[in-house]
Amino acid sequence: MANGSLRVGRPRAAAQISLAVCAALACVLIFLGRVQPTLFDRARAYASDRAAPVLEAVRTPIRAAGAWAGSLADVFHVYQVDLKLKDENARLRKWQNLALSLQQRLKRYQLLLNAVPDPEIGSVTAHVIGRASRPFLNTMIVDAGRREHLKPGEAVVDDRGMIGRIFVVGDHTSWVILLTDLNSRIPVSIEPGNVQAMLTGDNSGAPLLVGSAQGARLRSGQQVVTSGDGALLPAGLAVGKLYWDGGDFRVALFADAGRSGDVRVLDLKLPAENPPAPTANDLPVTAAGLPPLKPAVPKPATPTAQPAATAALTQAQAQVQTQTQAHETGVAPSRPKHGKACDTDCLNRKELRQSVDPHIQRLRPAPASQLPLQQPPPPDETSPDDQ
Amino acid sequence: MYDTYGGSFGRFFAALVPFGMALLGSLLSNFPISFTNGFLPAPLFGLMPVYFFGLLRPDLMPAWAALLAGAFEDLVSGGVPGIWAMAFVACYMFTDRQRDSLAGLAGFGAVVGFAAALMVAVSTAFALVALYYWRLPHIAPVAATLAANVLWFVPALWLMNKTQRQLLGPLRGDF
Repeated sequence: MANGSLRVGRPRAAAQISLAVCAALACVLIFLGRVQPTLFDRARAYASDRAAPVLEAVRTPIRAAGAWAGSLADVFHVYQVDLKLKDENARLRKWQNLALSLQQRLKRYQLLLNAVPDPEIGSVTAHVIGRASRPFLNTMIVDAGRREHLKPGEAVVDDRGMIGRIFVVGDHTSWVILLTDLNSRIPVSIEPGNVQAMLTGDNSGAPLLVGSAQGARLRSGQQVVTSGDGALLPAGLAVGKLYWDGGDFRVALFADAGRSGDVRVLDLKLPAENPPAPTANDLPVTAAGLPPLKPAVPKPATPTAQPAATAALTQAQAQVQTQTQAHETGVAPSRPKHGKACDTDCLNRKELRQSVDPHIQRLRPAPASQLPLQQPPPPDETSPDDQ
Repeated sequence: MYDTYGGSFGRFFAALVPFGMALLGSLLSNFPISFTNGFLPAPLFGLMPVYFFGLLRPDLMPAWAALLAGAFEDLVSGGVPGIWAMAFVACYMFTDRQRDSLAGLAGFGAVVGFAAALMVAVSTAFALVALYYWRLPHIAPVAATLAANVLWFVPALWLMNKTQRQLLGPLRGDF
């Protein structure tokens, strides 16, 4: 390491300038990240999509080695683990029966009360292929993305509880922001008592509970679940247990994001809200000052297209004549209020006239004496105007 | 003619090695590998080549390379863009200003020198994150990161020394 002789002669001033330029560029990068976060998110999604096969390839032998090493240690505790599992299984069966009967009762009550049913929750199971645990960052990458219909904001859970939320979605990978991350904020509810609060990560192992209601009495050991406010996360997802660390209430998470290999991404399928139907006043034709279009009338089965074309011609002629008369007399039927809108209106009329005039000339009905006798075309033929 | 092409290739390759090591380090840091079962956070492998080659071979690790390495670290880690870019540049600035004292360190002193540069980088990132979110991040993960980086710098130093002496050293005349 001792190598003072390796000094490279270079102008000091140039080096200082380049350092200052680089520092300024870094500041610009931070500013850009603030104003254009989607730009970097897209780059991240692209990078993770491309790196996914490598991450997957690396993950497989490491998981296998970890499972093998873990199984070696477990060999010495098989008997105790077996007894513990049997005991736990017996207790869980009781709870399962109780839960099933309560679920049935709840359904009956909901039917009796004509209650709004709970939204359906779909899920996608994904593997964790990347994990970043940094002093200011706690994220993971999962191998499911847009192709699996994931969307930003969806909850990510493991078999014990909630881990985090999706925040960047690529084609077949997604980034998950963990509950412990500095950016994470989710609305939670503390049971029993239904106390509403916000769970905010600060990059420690246990996120902080803030914003609970004034006078709310919290106790260590209370369970924290998602409240479902904002309709982005499902309500009632288990998050953790409350404890007092001497200065604040924190939540000891049920899920262990550091050890989760497979996770589920929950999709809260809320009924879609239909936008209001457009009215005649919303149509661009009306906005341009033209009379609203009449609703389309089903075309009668005519042997020729001539009556339809004639009707269109008559309508266009009447419109042009009205506009021309209005132009000549200087009295517009409906004059726009602003000068700018009037200019636009006039231009629209001019364009309309230019586009309609050739059709008028072509389709102008000749005098009856000059009309040749026309044979009706075959039923499957249609005129170009109808197409 | 062969020598000309060979020399050009060697020069090009040698110029890429330190920067490539920084990029590779950033990628390695974000792999789902934890030898301490999540107890220690992943070290900043991308910062180690920036410090080492910025100290010994600033011709191969210029300031813009440090900036790009930091930006790549931001990209692959999923954090706020520019935080680590600025931290890497700050570390490079510190190394550039203290080159005379840091380049003469050996053994344990070299590790202490890296710890000082690391402290500058992490403090810069800490300050930027605190300003960005307008609240102080938890200090324990920062301390754990410092410890993990110092521990991992020892094997990384051996590797970078080996690269410097055996791969880049013989090509020094080409630069």
